[in-house]
Amino acid sequence: MAGEQSMHGEVSLSALQASIRHYVRYALGKEWQHLSGAELFRAVALAVRERLVDRMLATEARYRQAHAKRLYYLSIEFLMGRSLSNNLYNLGLFDLCQEALRTLGVDLAMVEESERDAALGNGGLGRLAACFLDSLATLDMPGYGYGIHYEYGLFQQEISNGYQQERPDNWLASGTPWEIERIDEACLIPVYGRIEHALDRDGQYNPMWLDWKILIGVPHDMPIVGYGGRTVNYLRLYSARSSAEFDMQIFNAGDYIKAVEQKIASETITKVLYPSDTVEAGQELRLVQEYFLVACAIRDIVKRYLQTHTTFDAFSSQVAIQLNDTHPAVAVAELMRVLIDENDLPWERAWEITQATLGYTNHTLMPEAQERWSIALFEHVLPRHLQIISEINRRFLDHVTLVWPGDHERLQRMAILTESEPKQVRMGHLAIVGSHAVNGVSALHTELVKTALVPDFFQLWPERFNNKTNGITQRRWLLQANPLLAQCLTNTIGDAWITDLDVLQALEPAAQDAGLQQEFRRIKRANKERLAKVIRELTRVTVDPDTLFDVQVKRIHEYKRQLLNVLHIIHEYLCLIEDHQAPTVPRTYIFAGKAAPGYWAAKQIIKLINNVGRVINTDARVHGQLRVVFLPDYRVSLAEKIIPAADLSEQISTAGTEASGTSNMKFALNGALTIGTLDGANIEIREAVGAENIFIFGLQAQEIHTLRAQGAYQPREHYARHPALRRVLDALYADRFCPQEPGLFRWIYHALLDHGDPYFHLADLPSYIAVQTQVGAEFTNPAGWARKAILNVARIGTFSSDRTIRQYARDIWQIDSIPENGALD
Amino acid sequence: MELMCEHIGEVTVVVLAGAQLDASTTAEFKSDIAPVLEAHAQVVFDLSQLAFVDSSGLGALLSCLRHVHAKGGDLKLCSILPPVRALFELVRLHRLFHIFDTPEAAIRAFQP
Repeated sequence: MAGEQSMHGEVSLSALQASIRHYVRYALGKEWQHLSGAELFRAVALAVRERLVDRMLATEARYRQAHAKRLYYLSIEFLMGRSLSNNLYNLGLFDLCQEALRTLGVDLAMVEESERDAALGNGGLGRLAACFLDSLATLDMPGYGYGIHYEYGLFQQEISNGYQQERPDNWLASGTPWEIERIDEACLIPVYGRIEHALDRDGQYNPMWLDWKILIGVPHDMPIVGYGGRTVNYLRLYSARSSAEFDMQIFNAGDYIKAVEQKIASETITKVLYPSDTVEAGQELRLVQEYFLVACAIRDIVKRYLQTHTTFDAFSSQVAIQLNDTHPAVAVAELMRVLIDENDLPWERAWEITQATLGYTNHTLMPEAQERWSIALFEHVLPRHLQIISEINRRFLDHVTLVWPGDHERLQRMAILTESEPKQVRMGHLAIVGSHAVNGVSALHTELVKTALVPDFFQLWPERFNNKTNGITQRRWLLQANPLLAQCLTNTIGDAWITDLDVLQALEPAAQDAGLQQEFRRIKRANKERLAKVIRELTRVTVDPDTLFDVQVKRIHEYKRQLLNVLHIIHEYLCLIEDHQAPTVPRTYIFAGKAAPGYWAAKQIIKLINNVGRVINTDARVHGQLRVVFLPDYRVSLAEKIIPAADLSEQISTAGTEASGTSNMKFALNGALTIGTLDGANIEIREAVGAENIFIFGLQAQEIHTLRAQGAYQPREHYARHPALRRVLDALYADRFCPQEPGLFRWIYHALLDHGDPYFHLADLPSYIAVQTQVGAEFTNPAGWARKAILNVARIGTFSSDRTIRQYARDIWQIDSIPENGALD
Repeated sequence: MELMCEHIGEVTVVVLAGAQLDASTTAEFKSDIAPVLEAHAQVVFDLSQLAFVDSSGLGALLSCLRHVHAKGGDLKLCSILPPVRALFELVRLHRLFHIFDTPEAAIRAFQP
């Protein structure tokens, strides 16, 4: 098996079996023969967890001994997925466990399927955080995740009559065996209240935060084992409990109901993940969640630091805190509050420490996604923090005035607190001002952050801005998800790629080798057969693994342009049935993804895909040349089945909108070719794999910007100029895909033609169709396609999250690897 | 909440003998302490038994301080348990009160 080493000779097959049986009996209180799948999973997981705990404690001891500087990654989302296989692979126990279970009459694959995804995230931002934790541990770096222990993760998606239906994701229904609850490390978090202005004993102004409500944050630790099993860090997730006063209040009979309501309100805070990956405008609960995460994290970080230090002089040389987007940006104010209010540091010293400690990652350019809170809401929830932010803002604007005297417009643009209505706190500005480093997540994105999003800040502090192109972990996304390909790579070039993805370059000379090409195709076919079974189980649609699997799986968004994909499919369909022109190659179009529950247009696009699928899949004239499927409930574990089976990866966002993307990297790593725009990390992928090995189309970011700026984009011109395009839109208007629901999709026609087509679908559709035709032509040459696929795999190494983390560690965090003594590499 | 008073010279040391000063006990505490604060200008609150205080409890202590100050006296605190101390610091009340580790130290602080 690729990557298997005898890392832990002390774990024998019989010992593992005994451990599993032990947990079946003593943790579950069951006999072996009466186990459900979920129970068996729990027992296996507990046996594996046992192997993590010792290493977690040893890792902590190692870091303590080295006085290691630690990185704390604050994220409101961690999209972890399933952990069993990941832990087994990283511990080097996968084969052993598989064999141990086989001899007990159990299939490990069945046990894996019994694990619920930990879906504590919406999409790319949360999954990036998860990949980063894997890389930190694999690189033996002292890095911890801090997040929220949501009781309900991202909703489960069902499709009913083509529409998305949301169901609660009660992922903890059977508990999770991976986490260790630490009641004794609970912390008290005040929220709400008011400021009382007073003078202290020395006659100095002393604002006091009174009448707050107390929340209790209880940490739950999930061990995170790096590949090789030498280092086990952890992800600390906080759940909110009501304070002990509830117990007293229930004895006051008149207030019983109120006391219960209070308890419920407190514990609501970490009840559910907000299911939108854009801004939750004005949602008080979301602000409380963000503060809760930050307050728990900083309380914990400071407490740990003060166990070995008596002053804060060394704080920023011992602690690095990274803000994953602006959701934890209130950390700027909270750290200041803790240093000033609780530890009596003067403002200037506290500010120096805060800036030196914090780093901020921006993930989006979309104006509507820039987080802002009304000042009134902020004052209501966090009165002391608003005071602190006001002072930060005042001092910051004084500085700006020194640099650009008299430039009032610039002051307004840069202010953290806006003065005109609506009066808001700009969290992005707070994060930039409070951090020593600000990064974007792809070269293009970082450039746009500097030149378009916050150019004033870039002018003021150019040294703070840097790029850290996103990455993915090859452990989950290749070793685990695609064991056939992983084995093939190991057989060809050895297994060093598992911890050094650049080693894949050694594959390049063999790209021409017919034997390797044939093996790649065989593997891809096997993966497609596996996915075809999944598709049949989930949708009852039969797909042919010999067709081109054309895949777009990601959150449903207008800017990601699933609609563009559908327009092309409709075009292909109409060519087939009206022009009798078969597609160059038969295709299966595979979609998956969730829409935010309140995002009407995204939900309509899901309905469109399903309706188009139903029409095409049941039209006898299609003869299997086209199939369209929408797989419900896209999540990490489903992605692990879809991505290895893809021939073509759709990365077709409007140029200038997708900050990076990460599924683009996952597909390329698994031997899919990419069709995409020059957006986000696609640009760097093209540079890496070679322009001849990727299919690029569409307007570029600068062109889009110019068209928008000049108001020069006229969608109707494209409609008039391109008969094929006209036919597609007219078919939508004529209810060809909603005969039972007339008028259902006319909004699309109007959105594209009459409402400006803000994402330039019509402008890009002709070139998209042309390049798709080229894709089809190339797919008819299996050897050529396989060669390109091999080159994609060979050249994708730089997109490992190991590289990303090394860059963060070197440039922003200044943390080091702390390997086990005597460890190789 | 039971209040145990001891007079040491001019200083009155009051031990707050309940474990919690919170929304359910604050009103009673205020009414019970009022006569003590009326009668004495130099007061020490011994908080060694106070395990939990909430915002209303802190507010009650603050109002005691103000009451004593208004009469030209002073109120000092001693023997605060760490969790309660943390809340004092969080609220910045530690800048208003003189806080001592022991009753003796607090009593000594009243001496000129």
